[in-house]
Amino acid sequence: MRIELALYASLQGYLPEGPPGSSGKRSRIVELPDTITVGELAARLKLPDQPRISFMDGRAVTDHVALHDGTRLAIFPPVAGG
Amino acid sequence: MAMDSILRVDMSDLSVRKEPLPAKWAKYAGRALTDAVVFDEVPPNADPLGPDNKLVVAPGLFGGTTAPNGGRISFGAKSPLTGGIKESNAGGQMSHALARAGIAALIVQGAPAVKGALYVLKLDESGNGSLMRADELAGLGNYDTAAALLAKAGDEKIVTITNGPAGEKLLKASGIAVSDVKGLPNRFAGRGGLGAVMGSKGLKAVVAPLGRGGLEHADKDAFNVAVKKFATALKAHPVSGQGLPTYGTNVLVNVINEAGGFPTRNFSDGRFDLVEGISGETMHEIGEARGADMGHGCHTGCVIRCSRYYNDVDGNYVTKGPEYESAWSLGANCGIGDMDAVAQLDRACSDLGLDTMEMGCALAVYMEAGKLEFGDSDGALAALKSIGSGTGDGPLLGSGTEAVGRAFGVSRIPVVKHQALAAYDPRPIQGIGVTYATSTQGADHTAGYSITANVLGVGGTVDPLKSEGQAALSQGLQIATAMLDSFGLCIFVAFPVLDIPEAFQAIYEMASAHTGVPWDTDMLMKLGRETLTMERLYNEGAGFTAADDRLPQFFLDEKLPPHDAVFTVSDAELDSVHDFVAATAADMGISVPKLA
Repeated sequence: MRIELALYASLQGYLPEGPPGSSGKRSRIVELPDTITVGELAARLKLPDQPRISFMDGRAVTDHVALHDGTRLAIFPPVAGG
Repeated sequence: MAMDSILRVDMSDLSVRKEPLPAKWAKYAGRALTDAVVFDEVPPNADPLGPDNKLVVAPGLFGGTTAPNGGRISFGAKSPLTGGIKESNAGGQMSHALARAGIAALIVQGAPAVKGALYVLKLDESGNGSLMRADELAGLGNYDTAAALLAKAGDEKIVTITNGPAGEKLLKASGIAVSDVKGLPNRFAGRGGLGAVMGSKGLKAVVAPLGRGGLEHADKDAFNVAVKKFATALKAHPVSGQGLPTYGTNVLVNVINEAGGFPTRNFSDGRFDLVEGISGETMHEIGEARGADMGHGCHTGCVIRCSRYYNDVDGNYVTKGPEYESAWSLGANCGIGDMDAVAQLDRACSDLGLDTMEMGCALAVYMEAGKLEFGDSDGALAALKSIGSGTGDGPLLGSGTEAVGRAFGVSRIPVVKHQALAAYDPRPIQGIGVTYATSTQGADHTAGYSITANVLGVGGTVDPLKSEGQAALSQGLQIATAMLDSFGLCIFVAFPVLDIPEAFQAIYEMASAHTGVPWDTDMLMKLGRETLTMERLYNEGAGFTAADDRLPQFFLDEKLPPHDAVFTVSDAELDSVHDFVAATAADMGISVPKLA
């Protein structure tokens, strides 16, 4: 399946090769196996072992959630502001 | 030295009197103390810009100590914007300066007999003060005012509080500036129009020596142990230890945009198409390329160090941050997707002494009224400058979001208790909507930062799109925040405090060792409840009712893309947030303060 993957802040360097997505240099269109979870993708990308903030199509998701074809996944390291 | 004096400055007879801190206020500092003074001494029906209002400035309990991130300072008064009690706190160095001089609170009251006369209050290291006529500073921006005061001080290391032209003009969107570690007037008690209160007193600035050393502790060794424990927790938590120091607050732009809660073009969309231009990542890249200062504490003792400066293409300082709230309000909310443009708007607000959040919302409403195009950054800058010159629509814009919306018949006016909302739409992030609606301060995200559990996964998880659990979440955070504000702790310590038990313990251990009074969890929460109770009773006296604890109707009616969400927390749930007030008031032996 094909998804749009966006990685932000300190995770940007882990973005794989691929055509750019809707967020320019922060995102890529990536091909993935048909059954893969957020956590499995994070492991595949070798993201640091730390808490993450992940959104699938604008909704917060945990590592156990399975990805779907055409979805947009955005992952942030632990950040905050205000 | 102990923080045990009140410095009472009466602008009517230009007297400055040092008084012992009364026993009834001795258990309070910071927000609790500014509240107590306003509660006891300012009738709820006082004219906010008249001689009966008082501007109260109080360091938190940890002012002047080495408590990590303990240097916030509270400004309190009856707000000319909300009509209720106001506490707006800022970073910068003044908390330490006042505390080291033994001043628990500065109370500025009365009004000058000579209309238009301006004064500077100069303090010494012993906490004595005198007023100096300073008409020559009239109309100067915060930067020129601070520079003039620094030049006059020569080699003496001073800290400043300054009031910009907006405050001098008594505009309701005005805030008060505090100088940072480099003496720049870029830390703000921005909200609620307190610059106008300072302006009504004829007070242009306060100058104090930074002072040396910390305050005395009841148990110095125990204090140092607790300080180390607290600092360790702040550094260990990924948000306060890594995220905020590296990227600053503006890293939140992409997070909230991704969540679909980033208010865009006057709260008409939850995502901004030009978000890349104003994101924290972009700001970080620009800062590195231009050699900007990319991380420092806004006050001595800060270990999070999320402050940063923004430079122009030639590497010259333009402004601080811009912080997330300012990048949103002056950026996405106005349809402006260019960081250099946002920085110029931020600079203009800072120099004029305007709350960036109130102004970003006022400009967006102005744009919705068709007076400017969304995205017109040149027009927005010219509009801000018209506030300084007092020309065109400037005086109206400086009166805030609601005034602009009413003047032009705009139906979508994002305010609660007359104060503009912050950078989180309450429809897809309902917990923050509860805080906006019910806060004593008017719409104020910092009053109960539900973004923690709604979006960031800190302190648990509450589904942001549902109403369940939001009232309880907001209530707990509002109580805890009132306590943190009273201790002078930066709100960002909340991230480790919510996740690391030792961080919370360290707060009451530091308080116990510093004061000699045995603090514990219950006492911390009691302080938070008492603080909010004074605020609620005061607002009741000022005429607020449950009807004021509501969001504007359009948040309940208009679906916000991309989630097509509306705000669904019920009125009964909103009314439950302050269910502790009656019992707390009875325990404290207080009731609604008397009218004049």
